[in-house]
Amino acid sequence: MRAGREAIVVPVIFLTVLLLGGLRIADTAVLVPPSPYVLLLAVLLVRVVVQSGALAPELLLASDRSELANLNGVVLLATLWLASAQALAVLIPESGVPRLAFSVFFLILLLNTAAASPDRHRLLRSLAVTFGAAFVVKFVVLHGLSAPGDGAVKRALLALVDGVTAGALVQEVPRPITAYIALLAVALFLLGVFLLPHRERSPYRELSDGSNAIVRAR
Amino acid sequence: MKSTLERRSCGTIDNGMKETSTRALGLGLVVTYAALIGWLYARQPQTLAQITGGLTDVVGVYQVDEQALADALRFFRNDQFVEARIAFERADPAVRDARVQFYIAYSYYRQGWGRVYHDDRLYAEGLDAIDRAMALAPGGRLVVDDPALAMHTGEELKGELEAGLRFDASDFNPMRVFGARK
Repeated sequence: MRAGREAIVVPVIFLTVLLLGGLRIADTAVLVPPSPYVLLLAVLLVRVVVQSGALAPELLLASDRSELANLNGVVLLATLWLASAQALAVLIPESGVPRLAFSVFFLILLLNTAAASPDRHRLLRSLAVTFGAAFVVKFVVLHGLSAPGDGAVKRALLALVDGVTAGALVQEVPRPITAYIALLAVALFLLGVFLLPHRERSPYRELSDGSNAIVRAR
Repeated sequence: MKSTLERRSCGTIDNGMKETSTRALGLGLVVTYAALIGWLYARQPQTLAQITGGLTDVVGVYQVDEQALADALRFFRNDQFVEARIAFERADPAVRDARVQFYIAYSYYRQGWGRVYHDDRLYAEGLDAIDRAMALAPGGRLVVDDPALAMHTGEELKGELEAGLRFDASDFNPMRVFGARK
């Protein structure tokens, strides 16, 4: 059961995130690979996932495991990294000030999360809330503002950002299906992180004197 | 007691073999899936026909629709270039056949050719098509032995299309009205 999850289910989920997350459907369908910047952000995200115990690398790579099992572990780690990059890329707007703002926001958020050192449950909740909020801002707010026409939603949103030059926020609006695909990609990514081989508690807990101690898993 | 131990031992061996099979199967599956995704990113197919055609080409079983190709060549030789391209696209829906792409480029050339001026838009489309054709040809060498054509290689056609798109002094040469379409 564990071997199937580790060798098949989770890597396939992450590769699907890589595929779906890159899809941009406008007049033509384009697959956009993750940029070098989000690949770097993904390294931070993987670090946070390991730090929280949501991924226990010692359960994937160890000297007492067979070579094949270790190879499965390497593949899973690689797919986690690529899927993390693509999940972040799908949530970052395509251009302009929002792209810059989201890029900086995710960097600060991941650094902050690493500093806060949450456990697995808190990290999963935090990722769900952060990714959900970013999804709403990009696909509902920004695309609502950028869509042609002058509907009630657009007027309300423009009233909310009164004083901000709307031109700085306007994005190229893809077909509506892109948002559904992005939502599926983000949901699959969170499911994949949830299914990773994990420990219940991070083995490292900072003591009051600043030193690290290993806390026994319950 | 002995039989119980033997059963347990056999069960452990079975489980170990099952796990190894699962891991090997998973590795193969994931590598294949990753290769497919890499191929999709590299090729950027736009239609389902391009995806299936591309995959069948990878395994070497892609074939053009011969009937559609025959129809297309008939239209092409009657100077019905728009109809010819529709039929060529039907013959090679996955855009995997260098010869068909060569004819598509040639149809743009012939349709865009004029004694006084050439149609830049059609020539640009032709240039895209000949680039595709040469990219698909093994080693980039594309030769079409069709006696009805004046140009038989990708290089000749590409050179002619590029010359047509260039704006230079020869465009003002009055003798060009006596030039012939190739």
